[in-house]
Amino acid sequence: MNQAFPAWLEQFQERFGRVIRTPLERANGSLRAADETYDQTLTQLALASERLGPNARLAIYNRQYWFRLFTLFHGAFPLTTRLLSHFTFNGYVSRFLVARPPRHWDSESMLVGFDEFLQQALPAGTTPVEGQSAPVDTLAVLEAARIDSAFHRVFRAPALDAFQPTAEHAARLLTSRLIASPASAVLEEHWPLCELRPQIVMEVGEAARALPPRFDAARHWLLLRRENRLALLPLEAREARLLGLLSGLSLEGALAQLEHECPAEERPSLPAVTQRWLARSVALGMWVGLEAL
Amino acid sequence: MAAERPQLKPDALGLGLRVPHYGPVLEHWPDVGYFEIISENFLGDAAPARRHLDLVRERYPIVLHGVGLNLLGHEPLSSAYLDQLCWLAEYVDAPFVSDHLCWTGAQGLSHHDLLPVPYVDDLIGVAAERAAFVQRQLGRPFGLENLSTYVEFENSTMPEWQFYSAVVEQAGCWFMLDVNNIYVSSQNHAFSAHSYLDAVDFNRVLQVHIAGHSRETDGTIIDTHDRAVADDVWRLYAEAWQKKGPFPTLLEWDERIPPLPEVLAELQKAALVRA
Repeated sequence: MNQAFPAWLEQFQERFGRVIRTPLERANGSLRAADETYDQTLTQLALASERLGPNARLAIYNRQYWFRLFTLFHGAFPLTTRLLSHFTFNGYVSRFLVARPPRHWDSESMLVGFDEFLQQALPAGTTPVEGQSAPVDTLAVLEAARIDSAFHRVFRAPALDAFQPTAEHAARLLTSRLIASPASAVLEEHWPLCELRPQIVMEVGEAARALPPRFDAARHWLLLRRENRLALLPLEAREARLLGLLSGLSLEGALAQLEHECPAEERPSLPAVTQRWLARSVALGMWVGLEAL
Repeated sequence: MAAERPQLKPDALGLGLRVPHYGPVLEHWPDVGYFEIISENFLGDAAPARRHLDLVRERYPIVLHGVGLNLLGHEPLSSAYLDQLCWLAEYVDAPFVSDHLCWTGAQGLSHHDLLPVPYVDDLIGVAAERAAFVQRQLGRPFGLENLSTYVEFENSTMPEWQFYSAVVEQAGCWFMLDVNNIYVSSQNHAFSAHSYLDAVDFNRVLQVHIAGHSRETDGTIIDTHDRAVADDVWRLYAEAWQKKGPFPTLLEWDERIPPLPEVLAELQKAALVRA
């Protein structure tokens, strides 16, 4: 292409972009476009209508920008949103997006890293929630964010052929690392969040949802996509540990580490159960390949 | 040189395919002339989206409607985006592809919104060159949609329809005319929606969009796509049909999406309005 847009367009779009990315002011449980802070060069270029001044007209775009992005995050992080309330959650989304504004046409890309951001941004111990006298346990919110992120990632993963071990693989199986399917995830929860999630997805509401009581011991799940649906399969704690170890170690390394962590009284039965767990994971299509280390 | 007019029935009624309707569509295979998909929702490698698309495309024509081309963005068009769009158009054998006469990002950022520009002469040539390039790359008709807008700029030197028509004409591409957007902008900026319709060359209209909008307490109309089509928009649609029909018509419903039968009933109103 031979022609280029005039230079003023770049300045105009830079100013317009800055206006619509202006964070909304948070006061008394509501959000307000701070339109008195907009770039004056742009507001002087915008025309008033019969009903609205230039700033108020630009504020429509400012609000639209933020609420569109908030809605995307609510859809991807429903548990996290409702544990914090929409209002409190939106505050964290704003901080995240001010630091990392969207750069890609694929809106999915802006969600990447939000759960890690929350680990840095949430206060230790408990997190205050708008409209609630009691704060929420920060560890529960972080767990919810990890679970939301896994559900979102697994559902949208590409379809890859499941790994089917052959005789050729047998020779190098122990010294290689199994590659997990992107359409699978091992989850650990200390609150019944996986059970709560589908309920919350169907609910209408923006207020904080009460956190159910904490378990005495963690529960573990294998999250898998089958066709176009997600399935949660319960895992024993040590089975989950094995699957977790396999993500970073060779098969023999993972088995050795698991045995090392296993109480002496359980070691005699470990080879048999380990074989059963591995066979099950293969049958479920949890792996997509084998990688030499 | 304009690409050949696409093969949809000239009076076809189509529906924007949205996630809540995947199940009912695949179960009941409703009597719809074609479906329109949001291109960006199918450009990635997410398996569920692709599986649904594969099933739907076996039974219906599918047209693509994008929100991420950034035609009027000051930065060059993304060749990676365009490559994927071309692949998708080929994959579904789309009769045509459309996007908006707007910008969606600048300075390396994506704003995920359809944003306006001042309507001035010195944007027309570049916009037309880009639209022509996109159409050549796609190898099929490419349509530009008019926006709903909430602000105008004092340095505009022509009305929107003049700018829009000039870009389409110079590019040799097509109008993807949104009647609801004409109505919304005409109310927000106090211009005549009838004048807008009169200025459009309907021989170059690929399709007409209809959708619902909402009215704010201050009187501003927002293009929300969250409810049935307003009576005023149906009247404008009827006027377009009587003066310039036939043309394929597509209903968009993107928020607060009701069950499929309700959306189909709304779409069928188009046939009644035309009668």
